[in-house]
Amino acid sequence: MKKFFSDFYAAINKEPWSYVVTFGLMIIGSVMVYNVPRSLSAFLVLMLSPMAMYFLKMNNKVKLFAGLVLAIVILPVLGIRNIFYLEVIFQICVFAALALGLNIVIGMAGLLDLGYVAFYAVGAYTWAFFGSKQISLLHSVPGAAPANAPFFLENPNWFWLFIFLGVGLAAFAGILLGLPVLRLRGDYLAIVTLGFGEVIRVLALNLDKPLNITNGPQGITPIQRPTLSPVLLDPLRRILEPVVGHEITTAQFYNVFFYFLALVVIIIAVIVARRLEDSRIGRAWTAIREDETAAIAMGIPLVKMKLAAFASGAAFAGAMGVIYAANRTFVSPETFSFLQSIGVLSMVILGGLGSIPGVIIGAAVVVFLNIQVLQTFSLYLSSLRQSDAVIPIINFAWKNLSTQLDPAKYQKLIFGVILVVMMIFRPSGLIPAERRKRELAGETEDSD
Amino acid sequence: MALLETKDVVKRFGGLTAVNKMNFTLEKGQIASIIGPNGAGKTTFFNTLTGIYKPEEGSIEFNGHSLVGLRPDQVAERGIARTFQNIRLFGSMTVIENILVGMHTRLKQRGTDVLFRTKAFYEEEAAAEARAKELMDYVGLKNVGNELARNLPYGGQRRIEIARALAANPTLLLLDEPTAGMNPNETEEAIKLFRRIRDEKGITVLLIEHDMRVVMNISERISVMDYGEKIAEGTPAQIRSNQRVIEAYLGREAAAAQA
Amino acid sequence: MNQYVVIAFAILLGMVIAGGLAVTVERVAYKPLRNAPRLVPLISAIGMSFFLQDAVRLILGLTTGEFNVILPKFGTFDAFQTFNVAGLDAPVQLQNKTILLIAVTIVMLVGLNYLVNGTKIGKAIRAVAQDRPTASLMGINVNLIISITFLIGGALGGAAGVLFALKVTRLDPFVGFFPGLKAFTAAVLGGIGNLTGALLGGIVLGLLESFGASYLGIFTQGAFGAEYKDIFAFAILIAILIFRPSGLLGQTVGQKA
Repeated sequence: MKKFFSDFYAAINKEPWSYVVTFGLMIIGSVMVYNVPRSLSAFLVLMLSPMAMYFLKMNNKVKLFAGLVLAIVILPVLGIRNIFYLEVIFQICVFAALALGLNIVIGMAGLLDLGYVAFYAVGAYTWAFFGSKQISLLHSVPGAAPANAPFFLENPNWFWLFIFLGVGLAAFAGILLGLPVLRLRGDYLAIVTLGFGEVIRVLALNLDKPLNITNGPQGITPIQRPTLSPVLLDPLRRILEPVVGHEITTAQFYNVFFYFLALVVIIIAVIVARRLEDSRIGRAWTAIREDETAAIAMGIPLVKMKLAAFASGAAFAGAMGVIYAANRTFVSPETFSFLQSIGVLSMVILGGLGSIPGVIIGAAVVVFLNIQVLQTFSLYLSSLRQSDAVIPIINFAWKNLSTQLDPAKYQKLIFGVILVVMMIFRPSGLIPAERRKRELAGETEDSD
Repeated sequence: MALLETKDVVKRFGGLTAVNKMNFTLEKGQIASIIGPNGAGKTTFFNTLTGIYKPEEGSIEFNGHSLVGLRPDQVAERGIARTFQNIRLFGSMTVIENILVGMHTRLKQRGTDVLFRTKAFYEEEAAAEARAKELMDYVGLKNVGNELARNLPYGGQRRIEIARALAANPTLLLLDEPTAGMNPNETEEAIKLFRRIRDEKGITVLLIEHDMRVVMNISERISVMDYGEKIAEGTPAQIRSNQRVIEAYLGREAAAAQA
Repeated sequence: MNQYVVIAFAILLGMVIAGGLAVTVERVAYKPLRNAPRLVPLISAIGMSFFLQDAVRLILGLTTGEFNVILPKFGTFDAFQTFNVAGLDAPVQLQNKTILLIAVTIVMLVGLNYLVNGTKIGKAIRAVAQDRPTASLMGINVNLIISITFLIGGALGGAAGVLFALKVTRLDPFVGFFPGLKAFTAAVLGGIGNLTGALLGGIVLGLLESFGASYLGIFTQGAFGAEYKDIFAFAILIAILIFRPSGLLGQTVGQKA
């Protein structure tokens, strides 16, 4: 069986078959999705094409072209027909950026941060606070807000500045976290960072008095989004509406907008991460991870480097936090729980500690699992419940299965299993970092 | 002025005095050795010199500046490089990368250079890589630049450690049992290499060694430690005939080494 | 049936089940990782903790469908005893179940102390903790000892769980998360490796939390109050690890190159 797969892989891994496979997947997938937007198999076929692009041997310019076509033309159009795709890609990009950030802290520098979601929260709440009415509501009680409170920022395009502010504030938070934990050993470091994450969550939950900064458990909403210029929208509308077959609302355009924004940010994130990795800083981090005593004997200043790791990792989360807040127009403390920190951790572990392509794949797999697989499983279970079918062997009627049993809510189980199984069977991850040897000619940065 | 001078350095661990009033001088350009039975305090002395331990008493002066209270990375920056008794390489990095880490203090790239990939960055990295390859050749490693450090055989790993230490252009090189586990051939080559390091690069070399062939062959001065104290010091000839030293541990090995 | 007998039986059963679970978890998730770098079993443990919590939820979902369990009142344990302590204005009131909790804790401490410091098995446990290869060369069955250690730890956790349930009466699958973290904090506060220290740490932590939460409200005039109770433990943890990493009763470990 294994031989079959490796033979098959060898067969398609050379031109012209690689082209056939890639473009075939792209075209067939697109057609399938266009006609049956909600089909899982269509989704899978389409999503296999970027994987084919990454793994198979092709001319790099062609790869780039295929990637661009997929990302810029196909997905947005399909996405307008069914926002699910844009939503999934958006989530994958967000979590991939988070995973890249956490990868710097854990994978490169070897510091086990279990409270990473705190930096994401810092970014999100920063924009949530300034980009909403919260400032005028500082003295009001949650739920009793006057209806005609104004937005703080007249011009929502401050959003763009706030992305950088989010980066800065999150980096600052990273340094704050880093300072007390510098000398701590692995297990202690983990627990303290976990505590830090919880502190941020509890603060978000309770800072609705004496000043109503976070509006407590109800969260902050509505949050502004940057304006989409009509100069851009009208021509797009004219081109796309006939293709899609119906009128395109502003909301749908926003979906496409955030999809592109997330893609751009993740590409920047990958570039930044790669550049850090291949430099004195990245090597110092790896040295610290391997052997602190030897590293410091080489003249590497542990304090500065560890703080730099925390700050850099946090910066990624801060940027995405701002974008997330604007996309959802709503933030609440629930999103920033320990569960999410462990979720990002499981993406990094699954993909490969220290491996940039690995953690992106890890993020894609976990998001896909959560959004698609578990949901499908959930729906399937519901339909079974409605039928008269019976579980074989034990003859237990599906109908009698409690409605509380909803697979979509068992993320803790999934993350836990991923972590344990990966650590035991493949601790270096799906795409181990060491596979990527020193610069080989022809490595391109792919979009996802 | 001596390159390195320690006066009455004391290092205690709880009730145990590992280094007891150590007075030690090293002139620039010397090759010297510290020997002594196991547990004599030699490595502890090295660790105190390099800042891993802080001495309870005493002074350490290097090039006229005090080293006491400095962190190891600050000591490294002053120009002292070292190897370790148990090889401490960065196993998951390649040989070249290990050597590049050694160059950390000599590289100037700033955050902006790294992120924006300025010309200065590329030039520095290229120069660094070229220098790393030179150092690999210098220590006798061939064609293994892209191998993971942990995949190399023991002798190769020892060489990487030395190359890594040399990468920082140190003034003083501390070698902690550099020939441990080597066969006679490798030991011969190692001796030649240490001499070249001093002769060609002008680096002062201080070794901790157990192998008397190496010690007698290469040292211009030998200091002997036992129970944390210096019990003798002098040229190889003097040490060989020093009764106290012979008592402490030399015995018949010295005679064999001279054959 | 006598209520004490029921509680004793519950504690025993809890110890057996929890201990057995601990041994199984060790075999499955930690034993294969014994020689891996430190981070690896730590991550596996986190994964295991998540898995177990959700597994309980899954079982509850499959059986009763009710995740929140409210335990009915049991026996006379909720009744208060009053003590008049000389020098205090008002009488001190303690619930019977609190007294039981304190009593069982003291028994556990004494028993554990004896086990670890006074028996051959305890010596073996300490030996394995300090130097596993050498301990095995001395003829100690390392696998067995590690399993026994987890058995003991799990059993004590199970006993604590029964008492916790008695005290708190409202349970859900994730009820153990914070106590687990606070247990770690208490152990660090008291000094890792020191049993009396762990007890002391727990007491100090509990007192700091309770008094701190109330007084915090008073000092800040209601701005910050008891809702910050849970992160008290973390604040304390960070403070100890910065200022006194060896804990209250721990010894400072000497450095080794």
